[in-house]
Amino acid sequence: MVGALALASASLACGSAKQETDAAAPIRSSKSLGTTHGPNGEPATPTSALTLTPGEVAKVRAGHYTAALVWHESADFTTAVTAGVRDEFDRLGIEVVAETSANFDAAKQKADIETVEAKRPSVMLTLPVDPVVTASAYKAAARRTKIVLLSSVPQGMKQGRDYVDLVTDDLFQMGKRAADALAAAIGDEGTVGYFFHDANHYVTNQRDQAFLKTITGSYPKIRVAVKRGIADPNEAQDEANAVLVKDRDLSGVYVMFAQPPGEGVLAALRANGNTKTKLVTLDLDEPLALDMAKGGNTVALIADKAYELGRAMAVSGAYGLLDKDAPAFVVAPAMTITRSNLVEGYHESLHRDPPASVMKALGK
Amino acid sequence: MSAPLVRIEGLRKEFRAVVAVEDVTLEVSPGEIVALVGDNGAGKSTVVKCIAGVHAPTAGRILLEGRAVEFSSPLDARSQGIEVVFQDLALASAQPVYMNMFLGRELVKGPLRRLDREAMAAETKALLDGLDVLVESPHRAVRDLSGGQRQGVAIARAMYWAQRLVLMDEPTAALGVAETRRVEEQILRMRDGGRAILIVSHSLDQVFRLAHRICVLRRGRQVGIRRTSETTGDEIVAMITGLRDAD
Amino acid sequence: MRAIEPRRYVVYVAFLLILAFFAATLSDDGFLSEDNLLNIVRQTTPVTVMAVAVVFVLSAGEIDLSLGSVVALSALVTAEVMKTQSAVLAVAAGLGVGLATGAVNGLFVTLLRLPSFLVTLASLGIVAGLARTITDLRSVAVDDQSFIDIFGSGDVGPIPSLAFWALGAVVLGHFVFRHKRFGAHVVATGDDAGAARATGIRVDRVRFAVLVLSGAAAALAGILYTGRLEAATYTLGEQDLVTVIAAVVIGGTRLFGGEGSVVGALIGSLIMGTLTNGLILWGLSTSEQLIAQGGLLLLAISLTLREPRRELA
Repeated sequence: MVGALALASASLACGSAKQETDAAAPIRSSKSLGTTHGPNGEPATPTSALTLTPGEVAKVRAGHYTAALVWHESADFTTAVTAGVRDEFDRLGIEVVAETSANFDAAKQKADIETVEAKRPSVMLTLPVDPVVTASAYKAAARRTKIVLLSSVPQGMKQGRDYVDLVTDDLFQMGKRAADALAAAIGDEGTVGYFFHDANHYVTNQRDQAFLKTITGSYPKIRVAVKRGIADPNEAQDEANAVLVKDRDLSGVYVMFAQPPGEGVLAALRANGNTKTKLVTLDLDEPLALDMAKGGNTVALIADKAYELGRAMAVSGAYGLLDKDAPAFVVAPAMTITRSNLVEGYHESLHRDPPASVMKALGK
Repeated sequence: MSAPLVRIEGLRKEFRAVVAVEDVTLEVSPGEIVALVGDNGAGKSTVVKCIAGVHAPTAGRILLEGRAVEFSSPLDARSQGIEVVFQDLALASAQPVYMNMFLGRELVKGPLRRLDREAMAAETKALLDGLDVLVESPHRAVRDLSGGQRQGVAIARAMYWAQRLVLMDEPTAALGVAETRRVEEQILRMRDGGRAILIVSHSLDQVFRLAHRICVLRRGRQVGIRRTSETTGDEIVAMITGLRDAD
Repeated sequence: MRAIEPRRYVVYVAFLLILAFFAATLSDDGFLSEDNLLNIVRQTTPVTVMAVAVVFVLSAGEIDLSLGSVVALSALVTAEVMKTQSAVLAVAAGLGVGLATGAVNGLFVTLLRLPSFLVTLASLGIVAGLARTITDLRSVAVDDQSFIDIFGSGDVGPIPSLAFWALGAVVLGHFVFRHKRFGAHVVATGDDAGAARATGIRVDRVRFAVLVLSGAAAALAGILYTGRLEAATYTLGEQDLVTVIAAVVIGGTRLFGGEGSVVGALIGSLIMGTLTNGLILWGLSTSEQLIAQGGLLLLAISLTLREPRRELA
């Protein structure tokens, strides 16, 4: 009798807890079913492992070194990374003498590399636009300058010889956290749409597959109803539309990253008048953050700590200058950002306040 | 007056449903100036364009020195010795005068067939001087010239290249009195040089000053042809406005 | 005595001023080093090649918006064909893409009498789509060393091979534009197509020819990029249309036709490249570079742009 009452009250409690799920369910961290590895299988080292002794710092300062930043684009992400870089370089006495953005154009990136090399920088921090097309561009620079890579390794470059190390976000954790967040948002059961990057790109591939592995391996009551590969991120809205028109009752969707595919999927949801399906994606992005702040479809954004990536790259540069052995593949932690920690999320990840529109929607 | 240089017989031109010109017959002989007059929409420009090779006649024929000809293009008409001074002059305004003079027929020199700008400029200068067309230099761009100067250039071009017939559509319509005089002197010189000239004009004064004969069109139809010496302004006006029926 | 048109020379003066300015302020930053100056030549060559052709296109009163897409597609076709065929065949295939696109553009403009702006806007999209699908967004690497040396990365002594391509395009382009009948006909067509037609110029043939020319130039630029990067990808050339037109306009060619300068376009291209280079060497942030570039561009254009020729009356 007591048992029955207990059961009844327990199920009542569960029932109300379920309703809360839509608001702010505590996200359970499932057991990691894998780890991040580099493009050539290198094991991951956390960025926290990169440190310099006071003696080493002094030595670097004494060198009066210079650095060039050769980015692939100019956006929130690169601004945050650059902030982390510059703060650390200030500490190390390294002067940033040039900064470029290639706007995703490989030819411009090659020109940028050539141009900054005229200033003979001691260190170059860079995110290659495309591992195939930029391969030749870094060759000459690698001989004279210590290169630290963000995100991908151009074909033919060898760690130690051509570059100090490769830094990126903790890819497996990004995907796993997305799965955990989406699962929590839909109450650990239901159907899910999986929009992944249909291209051979180890960063997005690892993150996507981490999501898939986690959602299928750790959440038996969740079924991946739709798997849709998107080759061209700009086509996401159309691809999502096609899916959402047929599958109107998906509990949740995962999208490979926020801009532009995440925005595209959100637009498709709105176009279909769908307010129920939960959306989780990677990277902080204003339209999605705003949607989340307003309590829309977006329930979580998994972001890398871009500022920390910058710091790690800067320290890696110092490793190179000191001829200190650097770990081949370094990863910065990921973080789960929901409405409740949106402001902290912007601070930790991008080292800035959320945009005004988001702040307003949060009522701040 | 010698044998007719050009004769159009039963010229008819339709543009889809519109009959612009209906059965016009006309002759012009070397050293003769014939004026084509009529109100707006009479079909004067269309007649000129048919002879110039711009339009293909729907019916009728054009005879040059007695031989029937068909022009496939303005280039074709030109190659048969017909030159036109269009109402809008057909000058490339950004180009210098000498390039306009030789437009489409530029002189070349050397094995690489390079443009011979020096020769073209020299020829132009000589021609303009000879015609008393006051242009300071053949290198000046056409857009820097006055309306009268431009007209002078267009007519000089026609004179330079015309072997047989010169067609002119409202050559002095936009000019002042003095400039009009100058241009009319040029036209008379052309006539003296033995060319046949067909001129479209709104100004009956001008027509009576220059033309030997006057052909009147009204709404695409030919109203009649008169010798200038045997008619009056009133009669022509009556023919133009329809007060006087067709012959 | 030929009247001296001061505006014609402004672009040369502007270039010398910019060079002098950067030389003075960046003397310690490697601006004047042989490497850097030659780099500017390398970096500007594909744009210069296209700019020469665009002088013809704009002077004829037309425009070709599909340039950027043709660069990408010809680059990819060249690289793909080179995987299984000789470099010669690959280059021919790449050029073929440009010629074909130009011819199709030309046919729509001359036969169907559609404005080149709209026709090339459409082909811009179609060719860009083809470039994306032909290798499924994958980039293609090239390893034929002689191709790489001739078309992009080689040097003849101290002079980059790219310099020869730029120079060749300019010399040939200038000769035809200024000293051949075709050039005179191009300008006349753009100046007043009616007048040109009336004097017997085959206006349609001129229009067709300039569009084919620009397609071919874009293809050559794509091949040069492939040689320079030792690979091809679908984003090549995407940003080049604006740079090319800016270079051409700064160099004194009228946007709506009737007047042009091939040598001016070369100077315009070098000005664009030098500006980009100098602003980076100055250590400006990316946003600062964009703002400065825009401002200086506006200044350059306002100095060299021909006055509009709409006269009243």
